[in-house]
Amino acid sequence: MTPGPDMALIDALLQFIGVFVSFSVAYVALKGVRQTESASLLRLALAFAFLGFGFFVESLVGLGQIFPSLSISATDVVVGGLLLETTGYFFLAFSHAVDVVLSKRMGAALLIFPVMSLSGPDLANILSILSFYFVMYGVVETLYSYARTKKPDTLFIAMGLSLLGVGTFFQWLSLLYQYVAVLSLLQIILQVMGLTILFTPVLRFAVGGVKVDGPI
Amino acid sequence: MAQYRTQVRIIADVLSTARDMNTEGTGVGVTALLRRGNMSYTRMSKLLSELVGSGLLLELTGEKISKYMISEKGVQFLAAYYSFEDFAQSFGLRL
Repeated sequence: MTPGPDMALIDALLQFIGVFVSFSVAYVALKGVRQTESASLLRLALAFAFLGFGFFVESLVGLGQIFPSLSISATDVVVGGLLLETTGYFFLAFSHAVDVVLSKRMGAALLIFPVMSLSGPDLANILSILSFYFVMYGVVETLYSYARTKKPDTLFIAMGLSLLGVGTFFQWLSLLYQYVAVLSLLQIILQVMGLTILFTPVLRFAVGGVKVDGPI
Repeated sequence: MAQYRTQVRIIADVLSTARDMNTEGTGVGVTALLRRGNMSYTRMSKLLSELVGSGLLLELTGEKISKYMISEKGVQFLAAYYSFEDFAQSFGLRL
């Protein structure tokens, strides 16, 4: 079922919030790369830049509904957006995987990886479920990090990532059951809630951030 | 379990040692930096010349030994490092 213009507008608006939050996190991480040359921050910046572009491309579907004259091919756009999003989630998971390898620790999270099988030949389905795997891997590793540091912010971020993960799961469901329009809306709401939580460190950084201009 | 230290972490450790141990304002010797830095003399010497070259440390050359003091740029680097470390840790990552 194709969502109506009202639903499409909400969808596009929520996607734009995702674009804003993702690019904000990417910006702060990139600033960190310039100042500390940290590879972890570079991977984080890449992850959120891809997520931002992914949300932006997916918002075009909603715009296509609102302005039919744009004649946007929804299927191509959804697959393109999902590909970018999955790449973003991959970099997020990859950052944790690198951390696991460097600390010579076997990530227990890897065990959850092969539990589910791919649902079908459809590329969008595959990308959605891959995103889900990557995010959930990120959640488990972030929780592991919380157990090590006991930093409340880390637990908060794990919650945000969990919401993102559940959001990507609903995204997968919405692709399987396209006639249930509410699934798509639920997906966006959960993802935006998750991203809003991920925005907290950016806000804190903006309030108490460092006053250093340019690279050191 | 021993924790892996990235290059940026090692730099931050050396800079913070040079800052914290410079209580008399006369700089910190290589021995003190080695003790806290937990690395070989060769590696430390190479790192120190890099840090002096990039302006993060100041080298105070004496008659026999050189001492090191954190520069203003080094203090700024440490501030940036701690802020971004906090940011990365929020995402469960290490800088």
